[in-house]
Amino acid sequence: MASEQTLVASAASDDPQQGLRAVRALRELADRLETLQVERARSLGWSWERIADALGVSKQAVHKKFGRRI
Amino acid sequence: MFERFSREARGAVIEAQLVARATHTRAIDSRHVLVAIAESDGGPARSALTEAGVDVVQLSRSLRADLAGASGLDATALAAIGIDLDEVRRATDATFGDGSFDGVAGRSQRGGKHIPFTPDAKKALELGLREAVRLGASGIDSGHLLLGILRGGSPAAKALQSALAEAGSDDSALRDAVARGSHAA
Repeated sequence: MASEQTLVASAASDDPQQGLRAVRALRELADRLETLQVERARSLGWSWERIADALGVSKQAVHKKFGRRI
Repeated sequence: MFERFSREARGAVIEAQLVARATHTRAIDSRHVLVAIAESDGGPARSALTEAGVDVVQLSRSLRADLAGASGLDATALAAIGIDLDEVRRATDATFGDGSFDGVAGRSQRGGKHIPFTPDAKKALELGLREAVRLGASGIDSGHLLLGILRGGSPAAKALQSALAEAGSDDSALRDAVARGSHAA
């Protein structure tokens, strides 16, 4: 049973479907972590500029994405 | 349009938002509404589904699983590239508080707490209105919503059709069941 599952898993790993789902999951993961981290940084008094700098994006971009809700 | 909805039809629309929160989906499509209908305590739609032989528990369970997968956070796909989602969740919750990793899903979308309806869900509601008119009903009840979903050709319609097929039933049987309930009301 266990070896059967391993086989299924390894067969799936070179499947584009699996790979694309992983990419999508990574985006979702990054979105969630970004939101949590930006919220925390703001609550600790970080400026938008400093947050943008750490994220490697423009101040306008980060403010547009989070400014209204944080 | 909402002022013409019956109390339980409104309830289904409200419940659909809770389904979206619970499954961490970013928009409400007709599957959310169908889950809400399938899980309702009673009402014309639920009666029609039961009458048509649909296993409503199984239907809502498979739709919920489908929706949870649609949030994109696929643990199996992440594990295949060496990321342990449970570990990420544990570490994140340790820093930001219990439940923060899953709780943030609703916030990491534009517009904050409001969960928008997809065009597919709006279309199902509009088709529900047409079904009510066609059946000569004075308002839109959950049975009409159900037929609206069935007509939409959406993933929800397909799920509903396959649930009907599994029960050895079909679209027209469900339509008839709703029509009977609609006349009785």
